[in-house]
Amino acid sequence: MDDKKVILEVKDLSITFGSGKKTFTAVKNVNFNVFEGETFAIVGESGSGKTTIGRAIVRINPLSSGEIIYDDKKISGKLSKEMDQWVIKNIQMVFQDPAASLNERATIDYIISEGLYNFKLYKNEEDRKAKVDQALSDVGLLPEHKSRYPHEFSGGQRQRVGIARAMIMEPKLLIADEPISALDVSIRAQVLNLLKKFQKERNLTVVFVAHDLSVVRFISDRIAVIHKGRIVELAETEELFNNSLHPYTKSLLSAVPLPDPEIEKSKELIVYDESVHDYSVDKPSFHEIKPGHFIWANQAELEKYRLELK
Amino acid sequence: MSDNKFTFVQLEESASEHIASPQYSYWKSVFRKFFSSKLAIFMLIVAFSVLLIAFIQPIFSKYNPTIMPHINDRTMKYIRPNATYWFGTDDVGNSLFDAVWAGTKNSLIISLIATAITTVLGVIVGMFWGYSKKMDQIMIQIYNVFANIPFTLLVMVLMYTFGQGMAQLIFALSVTSWLGTAYFIRVQVMIIRDREYNLASRCLGTPTHRILKQNVLPYLVSVIVTAISRDVPLFISYEVFLSFIGVGLSQKEASLGGMIQKYSVYLQSASYLFWIPVCISAFISVSFYIVGQTLADASDPRTHMV
Ligand SMILES: Nc1ncnc2c1ncn2[C@@H]1O[C@H](COP(=O)(O)OP(=O)(O)OP(=O)(O)O)[C@@H](O)[C@H]1O
Ligand SMILES: [Mg+2]
Repeated sequence: MDDKKVILEVKDLSITFGSGKKTFTAVKNVNFNVFEGETFAIVGESGSGKTTIGRAIVRINPLSSGEIIYDDKKISGKLSKEMDQWVIKNIQMVFQDPAASLNERATIDYIISEGLYNFKLYKNEEDRKAKVDQALSDVGLLPEHKSRYPHEFSGGQRQRVGIARAMIMEPKLLIADEPISALDVSIRAQVLNLLKKFQKERNLTVVFVAHDLSVVRFISDRIAVIHKGRIVELAETEELFNNSLHPYTKSLLSAVPLPDPEIEKSKELIVYDESVHDYSVDKPSFHEIKPGHFIWANQAELEKYRLELK
Repeated sequence: MSDNKFTFVQLEESASEHIASPQYSYWKSVFRKFFSSKLAIFMLIVAFSVLLIAFIQPIFSKYNPTIMPHINDRTMKYIRPNATYWFGTDDVGNSLFDAVWAGTKNSLIISLIATAITTVLGVIVGMFWGYSKKMDQIMIQIYNVFANIPFTLLVMVLMYTFGQGMAQLIFALSVTSWLGTAYFIRVQVMIIRDREYNLASRCLGTPTHRILKQNVLPYLVSVIVTAISRDVPLFISYEVFLSFIGVGLSQKEASLGGMIQKYSVYLQSASYLFWIPVCISAFISVSFYIVGQTLADASDPRTHMV
């Protein structure tokens, strides 16, 4: 693990929305590192702040505190124009809602070319067309789609347009915000395979956001479980599935459907109850309980978890 | 049956991606929708005819209210509408038909130019205003000051300051109206500003002016057409009203409002002199308004799915 290069560091990230009395902290003191070339998953229920973290990395959401470091350079806060452009070329995002993330009044040709236009990433008009055709075929779409408008496409096709427009920038890091949760089950695998293909071919690093663990198991190297804006557990995928410690992770795991109907029938769903934590005196923090396995706990809980691990 | 009767076929993956429906074109759909309304077609013909007559007829009549060739010819005065003088003649023996079209031409010029200035200025400023939170903080203060001054009062003050005339009237109407259009556009832009596709464009590094042109402006077509179809008749009415109360065009220039004012004394004796210009101005306003509203509806793509 140690020989891997850290490409993205999120340090003590907090994000608060609103101003005055009506503030809401969507993300609280989040810390994680992402290694080059891996798929890092962020998993949590709806409203837990996953999108907010993803958008902070691509600098749509300003930070309230903390910092984000990419390739050893700070990319949060105010950036110079060169840095700004460098970050855009390196980090791209696939948006959660394929129905809302494409401009309905623009052709697919324009949507996919947008990044090329912004940075003049083509020699001439022919080169641009060739790049767009290539980007379309990379995601399994046809050159004839260029003159079409987004509303003529299916959800899966639209999401692939979203992937194509991000990938044409040849980013090193892709934030994929629940790229398949709005899609029909039958086409989810297609989109996941596409992301895997890009990762293999281009040594892409992926931060993959999802709201259930079952999707994430097969594609991610490490998983961070987030609850109400806070990462409660972070570990390698197999470690998390085999040695989950935090009660919230356990409840998420119990919701993963099992292939064996007999076991599935007798399976017990665990409901997470926050009142099991007594944080009134003994304050919690983020600990590395075992190399690569992090947990949000206080001293008493750490003792308990250590026993569990043995 | 045996297996060798079957061969494997290749799955044609790209075939399932093909879109069978015909190509969608926004403007074609707009016009198809517009021309599906019989009333709109009728009103379009009316508005178009008005425009043609108003801009062509005065070339031939050379009407000028200060030239009165028949002023000493009693037989030429107060002729009721007939086959030669379709709208009759007035107190100095001039043809009302000539006067009405010359006046309509001036009203239309004023209204169309003032609308063009108001719309271009209002849309450009309104888009940046709605998109930039920093600009909003300043603009909203300016707006609050001016929005509280009555429009008519402001126009009148400007007209008294700069004097009567076409250019002055166009200036006064534009200067007092563009901020309202800008505010209207600002609200619309705020509604669509943070939609996900705009965030996506920002992620791709698209500069603000291109986001406004490609992601925002196309969504405003319908509201802009609505604003235009409201402004054209409104400015015609304003010209009529201001000239009527004597601060618009002077009596030296042909104007529907000036005419209505001048002829209002004949409401009893020669009422056609009053009613014809009133009806024409109402007729023009209504036809332009209906054409505009139908076009605004047609330019909303939600009406395209049938
Ligand atoms: N711009 C905003 N202004 C105010 N509150 C916001 C804003 N964006 C997000 N929030 C709030 O922050 C919280 C986290 O939202 P976020 O979109 O990050 O959740 P999520 O984990 O992505 O959920 P989902 O799985 O539904 O996409 C939510 O309670 C949401 O209401
Ligand atoms: Mg989300």
